[in-house]
Amino acid sequence: MANLIQNEMMKLLARKRLLVIGIIIAVLVLLFTYAQYKQVEEQREKLGTTDWRAALQQQIIDIQNRLGSSRMSDDWREQLQITLKQQQYYLDHNINPTEPGAPSFMRMFVENSSDLFIPLLVMIIASDLVSSEHSLGSIKLLLTRPVKRWKILLSKYITLLLAISMIIAMVGLLSYILSGIVFGYKGMNAPIITGFTISEGNLDTSEVRLVEQWKFLLMDFGLVCFVAVVVGTLAFMLSVLIRSTAAGMGVMLAALISGAILSNMVSSWESAKYLFMVNLKLTNYLNGVAPPIEGMTLFSSLSVLLFWWAAALVVSFVIFTKEDVY
Amino acid sequence: MVTSLSVLLGILWMAGFGWAVQDYYVEHSDGGLDNKVKSPVKNIEGQELTIVALGDSLTRGTGDETGKGYVGLVTQEVKKRIGQEVKVHNLGINGQTSRELRQQVKQKEVRRQLAAADTILLTIGGNDLFRGGQTLLDYNAGTVSQLQSQFTRNLSSIFADIRKANDKATIFYLGLYNPFIELEDGKQTSQVVREWNRQSEETSAAFNGIVFVPTFDIFQTSVNDYLYTDRFHPNKQGYRLIAERVAPLIKWEEKQE
Repeated sequence: MANLIQNEMMKLLARKRLLVIGIIIAVLVLLFTYAQYKQVEEQREKLGTTDWRAALQQQIIDIQNRLGSSRMSDDWREQLQITLKQQQYYLDHNINPTEPGAPSFMRMFVENSSDLFIPLLVMIIASDLVSSEHSLGSIKLLLTRPVKRWKILLSKYITLLLAISMIIAMVGLLSYILSGIVFGYKGMNAPIITGFTISEGNLDTSEVRLVEQWKFLLMDFGLVCFVAVVVGTLAFMLSVLIRSTAAGMGVMLAALISGAILSNMVSSWESAKYLFMVNLKLTNYLNGVAPPIEGMTLFSSLSVLLFWWAAALVVSFVIFTKEDVY
Repeated sequence: MVTSLSVLLGILWMAGFGWAVQDYYVEHSDGGLDNKVKSPVKNIEGQELTIVALGDSLTRGTGDETGKGYVGLVTQEVKKRIGQEVKVHNLGINGQTSRELRQQVKQKEVRRQLAAADTILLTIGGNDLFRGGQTLLDYNAGTVSQLQSQFTRNLSSIFADIRKANDKATIFYLGLYNPFIELEDGKQTSQVVREWNRQSEETSAAFNGIVFVPTFDIFQTSVNDYLYTDRFHPNKQGYRLIAERVAPLIKWEEKQE
């Protein structure tokens, strides 16, 4: 088994996919770092101060002004109200929600990329893991060895899991190092508020507590990694089912993008919460952001994702061991 | 090499995941964190002129397509005159009434900003009196006087709170104008607005350093030229006229340390 995994790993590294992913991440991080830098700069110019309290107060005032507008959907109003209360809570307790520095940037970057960007990166690897063997014709060479088919697939799957953990690590490392050049490397121990719960559109602060930023980051990474594994497994299944890599990728891409769109508009279609793609933003539960559909909790999202994950895994293994290869 | 590294990382992420779920679902008995946070709130210090603007949509600048409003224009003017940077905190909220402002000036951060202010600009009362035009639809002298006495109480409380936070800064309090002056009942509404302004001015006179700036006359003769299309808020020209009145009143000498 270990040899099979080594073999798969070797193939993966030879294809230089991880390098490409690393470059993509680096470019995006640089882009966002610049955008963030510009934003900070603009704020300073507008307020004439770098004082985060004044800036936060201004954000609160802006939200209050937007709430005053009558042309606004109820969902959006509710979300804004929750954000407003949260920010007021930060301000009242004298905690900076965006402590400047590389760790905060890393947190922001990981949280925002958990539902689209990281799944896309995972897809790059996952979606041709099996299908490329078909298109290259090397599948026959692989299957004629005296090894059980499920072992071959398992070794591929484990390679995928290893690659995912590499990708997550690269996202973390690159966003930390590159943004630190501009924002500095301080803030690993900055306090973060977690434990906001939302019940019926209201923000409940009774469970709120402080966590150090590095702990919060570790939790974020754990959740993001879980999401990446689920998406990776689905793409892996497609790669088994569909022999053309491009078609498999297209299906997965469509699902992911529709998830991003759906999250913004499904609040009235309740059964949409059983789709995997609206459940990808797990980090929102830690931050107390209102979920896209009322009634969704961390537990329900995890169960839905687990179900999809298990189903995809079963399908891939059954199909791969049964199918005819010619 | 790469394989074992990624195995290690995978274990790390799994630990993080387990921790996140556990942390989310385990009860935390020590709810409040009021006693844990101990980073001192420093007073804002600075050499530059600091303006804090409080109030309703006029402070916000609603109706001015350039988004500046009279606060932005005043700032621009003062900046030009004194030739240095001016710090502005615009805390105006659309539709704010005196009751809401009374709550706002009690907030910790607002008090801190007020304490650092050299000049405070204030517009309030329009939403109390007109209530989006409702007051005029079913006009009743009794209702108006009731609104007025409520407003006066709130205003006193607001001024008292501002003075508690900052007893030096000059407060420029802008009076109301009558946006409905050219409508049928223009005479009557004007009378109401004049009386309202008179009482507000009296209230402000009880405190030190409050300058009541009338705006009634600005909009008296050609109101429609200076109002936005909603016929309630000033337009760009209207705001300019207000700003031209306020800006010269702001005095500023280099702070001596």
